[in-house]
Amino acid sequence: MARVLIADDASFMRQMIREIIEPEGHSVVGEATNGIEAVEQYEELQPDLVTMDIVMPKRSGIDAVKGILAKHPDACIVMCSALGQETLVMEALQAGARDFIVKPFKPDNVVATIQKILEKES
Amino acid sequence: MALDVAKYRKLFLEEAAEQLGEFSRALLELEKDTGATESIDVIFRMAHSIKSMAASLGYDSVSEFAHSLEDRMEVIRSAGRIASGEELNLLFRGLERLESMIEVVRETGEPPPPEPELLSELSDARAFDPSTQIVEAKKKLQS
Repeated sequence: MARVLIADDASFMRQMIREIIEPEGHSVVGEATNGIEAVEQYEELQPDLVTMDIVMPKRSGIDAVKGILAKHPDACIVMCSALGQETLVMEALQAGARDFIVKPFKPDNVVATIQKILEKES
Repeated sequence: MALDVAKYRKLFLEEAAEQLGEFSRALLELEKDTGATESIDVIFRMAHSIKSMAASLGYDSVSEFAHSLEDRMEVIRSAGRIASGEELNLLFRGLERLESMIEVVRETGEPPPPEPELLSELSDARAFDPSTQIVEAKKKLQS
């Protein structure tokens, strides 16, 4: 089971992800509300996996992915995208994000995507 | 996982109220400075966030309307500024409409349908594209 950092500026979305993954045995070790916090909390908490929103204040999710991967090339990051963000998702995947989940979240899809990434890691 | 709709509706209404406040403040900044990029970014993010939250709750009309505002802001973001007073006015009307839609959700638990005309105006990105306006003005002069 994974220690997860959730990065999203909307508490609504952070709570939703938490409620989807905690019953699966994962633990949420931190919540970041912008890209700067995401990078800082990654350093501090060293989570097994990060769910990263793309559109966030101060530093975008894509910049935060680049910032984390520059120091931690093996970091497992899943992008949270919405309709119309295909180009940004591609940019994040090219930067090294492992996969993406699409809003509105489908719980089964979120769980399966995280599971797939963790299995590849083990 | 069964979504606790009442709980998430409350969260949505609280968070959307804050975001609409930020949207409004940023729009007032844009009225003073049509090239205020930070304000343009704020409105883009607020529309984006409301779109995603509304979609999560099945408030499709609210999500669709916020999406059209987000798309409009994407065009403005690329241009780096509001093209005209007319476009600013459109954003004020968009904000007002979004506020009223969310108020209906607060009162009834259901969203109303969007105004098709305003949705269409917001979607008509070409109307405020300065290059398009120049080309169309030239065409008029030549005809």
